[in-house]
Amino acid sequence: MQFKFALSALALAIALPAFAQTPAPAAPPPAWKQGMDNTAQPATLHPFAPIMTGTEAKDIQLSKLKVAPGFKVEVWTDGIPTARSMAIGDKGTVFVGNRVGKNVVAITEKDGKRSVKIILKGLDTPNGIVYSKGTLFVAERTKITRYDNIEANLDNPGAGKLVVDGLDPTNGPGHNWKYLAMGPDGKLYFNIGSPENITMPLYNQAAILRADTTTGQLERVATGVRNSVGMDFHPVTKKLWFTEHARDWMGEDIPNDELNVLSKEGENFGFPFCHQGDIPDPIYGKYDTCANSTPPALKLGAHVAPLGMKFYTGSMFPAEYKNNILMARHGSWNKTKKLGYDLMRVVLDSNGKVEKYEPFVTGFMTDDMADPPMWGRPVDVLQLPDGSILFSDDYNGVIYRVSYSK
Amino acid sequence: MFQVSSMKQVAAGLLAAAAFLSSSPLVQAADLEAGKTLSQTCVACHGPGGNSIIPGTPSISGSAAQAISMQLFNYREGNRKNAQMSPMAENLTNPEMNNLAAYFASEKVAPPTHQASAESIKVGPALTAQYNCTQCHGPALKGIQHIPRLAGQQYEYLLAQLQGFKAHTRYDMDGNMTSAMSAVKESDIPILADYIAALEYK
Repeated sequence: MQFKFALSALALAIALPAFAQTPAPAAPPPAWKQGMDNTAQPATLHPFAPIMTGTEAKDIQLSKLKVAPGFKVEVWTDGIPTARSMAIGDKGTVFVGNRVGKNVVAITEKDGKRSVKIILKGLDTPNGIVYSKGTLFVAERTKITRYDNIEANLDNPGAGKLVVDGLDPTNGPGHNWKYLAMGPDGKLYFNIGSPENITMPLYNQAAILRADTTTGQLERVATGVRNSVGMDFHPVTKKLWFTEHARDWMGEDIPNDELNVLSKEGENFGFPFCHQGDIPDPIYGKYDTCANSTPPALKLGAHVAPLGMKFYTGSMFPAEYKNNILMARHGSWNKTKKLGYDLMRVVLDSNGKVEKYEPFVTGFMTDDMADPPMWGRPVDVLQLPDGSILFSDDYNGVIYRVSYSK
Repeated sequence: MFQVSSMKQVAAGLLAAAAFLSSSPLVQAADLEAGKTLSQTCVACHGPGGNSIIPGTPSISGSAAQAISMQLFNYREGNRKNAQMSPMAENLTNPEMNNLAAYFASEKVAPPTHQASAESIKVGPALTAQYNCTQCHGPALKGIQHIPRLAGQQYEYLLAQLQGFKAHTRYDMDGNMTSAMSAVKESDIPILADYIAALEYK
């Protein structure tokens, strides 16, 4: 005991003079700034946020939006502040979740008139929603809940039944909002993002997971995915395609955000070791090589923030749009010259290789150097039974419809 | 940029705020006159034009409209709770919040009444840069979009908010302030508040 005391006193005596000469060690950087020290990017970039009180339809500048000849964009509904993910029921009810709010809303149509109703309140980050066979599934920060026979119970959906819990292992800051998709196998697919910009994730973080809808049994289907907030299954091959946000603070033009395709269960997509398939991470790159991960099917551009994506299977649009991917790019703040804030069209050939990547709806960005550079931010895409599509805009709390006629 | 229909709705106050309006589609359409009419209740506590002279009650002039409407929204939705503010926001509609926000955003910021210590004035600029205040709130801490104006804000209000973020008790929509405050030393919080409260809005 005395020996130990003497030792620590000695250590203190040695350490003290050195401590007195050097300043206290810097506190760790906040989560969003983490990893920023190895870049020359300016420290004046700041995050954007939705207009929490929304924008009325009359104030939406539709004439600024550009689409190919024959296509038309209209405001489908306003009054859904911070609208994010969308799902549609068998009877045509459109469900909308969000990331910074606490409600899920249902939009119903009667005699040509649409009405918006809040059906679920007080949820925690209900960003993920999907409808399947009468049931609405909602993914919150920590859990997934099912609401059976939802369209018959819009006025009183009840508390729902828990599918799986414990989906936010650290309960800290980070990418804890989820995207939810229904697989062809009848299981729920969703993301758990990286807790920080760039870090070594826990076992079930930076991954896409799959949950059994009745037992709640979890499986990891993809790893090394920093955060995916958009996914869909190819109508023919049934493969899972998903968007992924790459890390920040490596530079203005790297690394690219990604469009990925899952070819085998448990496949590794590189994070945090390798970005865009060919750039080793400055911190973690020494622990693994890019050769050990699957490169993206398409590099989407740096900081474009790809979110919802859907394969187009309708018959309203021209035939060449069949099985194309329509993808929303939220546009991001971590770059001086801004990029994104649009809908993109991705054309695949019969082997699933990307043939074309081109704008589908543009015009939300008015000046790529202005602050803000945009007046709207697309989030998710949903196909309606008539073959037209809806897309949500969380900045304005508006849902738009894109239709086509010759 | 301006639409004819919305020009008609916006009354005389528009011209003064034209430079600001041109960059904000939201404010372009909001109704300043309607906002001013509604603001009579607000100014009883927040002061004429939203420049507070009550310790602990924040000034609301000079922030961007998006920042003001966001806080009204937070009170209505129960994200932030306050005995005075919560009932005030309870029955406001989204367009009413947008109009109020547009009005207070267009009001002139009064010079600060707070006097900072010489020591705070000396270390303030380095501290606000080191702790990333200036990254989001801007080099002059004037705020932008949803990020509120800090320069010249009430000292007690600043102190309470910073302490609240540090203690994880103040509502934080995207976690950025909680995250930023995690790196701030407790003993630096009063220095930050002292420096910022006396900072002229310019």
